[in-house]
Amino acid sequence: MIAPLTYAVVGLAIVLCAVAVYYAVRDKLVDDRLLAVAALLELGLLIQLVTGLLGMGRIEDPTEKATFVAYLVTLPVIPVGAALLTIKEKSRWAMGSLAVGGFAVAVMAARLLQIWNLYG
Amino acid sequence: MGDAHRTADPRRALGGPGIMLVVLYAVLALAATGRSILQITSYFEQAPLAYLLSAFAAVVYLLATWCLARGGRWVRVGVVACTIELVGVLVVGMASYLFPDAFPDQTVWSHFGQGYGYVPLVLPVLGLLWFRRVERLAAATETPAPGSALG
Repeated sequence: MIAPLTYAVVGLAIVLCAVAVYYAVRDKLVDDRLLAVAALLELGLLIQLVTGLLGMGRIEDPTEKATFVAYLVTLPVIPVGAALLTIKEKSRWAMGSLAVGGFAVAVMAARLLQIWNLYG
Repeated sequence: MGDAHRTADPRRALGGPGIMLVVLYAVLALAATGRSILQITSYFEQAPLAYLLSAFAAVVYLLATWCLARGGRWVRVGVVACTIELVGVLVVGMASYLFPDAFPDQTVWSHFGQGYGYVPLVLPVLGLLWFRRVERLAAATETPAPGSALG
């Protein structure tokens, strides 16, 4: 796993969350700009998935390793699922769910980094 | 567009604020299920009880996610699922502090869900509040005809 990439992922996820909250409050519908942020985040998560799986051997504690892998795999599903919701259901609540998804990505990516750094 | 009133089941979380709860639940369910599969397939013998408990919890989270999303007659199942989650996180959380030897490895519910940022402690409460809300809304909109079956 590449730590700077994960920092970028956390930052981008927070941006996505903030923009989605703004859209939800203003009752704006999903647009290309928002989807671009989600797509960029997705790209980061996919690279993180590959690099994380390649480097997971260094995590010795089995529970930490299980959490690490489960989070790695779950993360890329979140922006896709939440973005699809906002496209399918054009409501501020669906936009809110994208914000929730962004927040979850930020927290889970930070947890990944925490586990990773234990074995730095 | 946003003004279009849906005639869908008011107990359905998709299409209303409950959709955010569905996303949260889905994330936790996925993460818990993934972790549980790894624990059981790669080193089950280390702490069988803890891992079975984790697997059980993961299945209940999946079920609760489904019930939230579907609404309707799933609301009752969802209430049971969320109650199991709440009791589970409270009992296992307490037990993991009182009898740490009985839990050689962490479960989702250990230490009141500390490993998951206490999300497992908060979510079932939100879920139960949601189900109570939609039941009330549904009861208010449906004219109570005697003898008519609900759901």
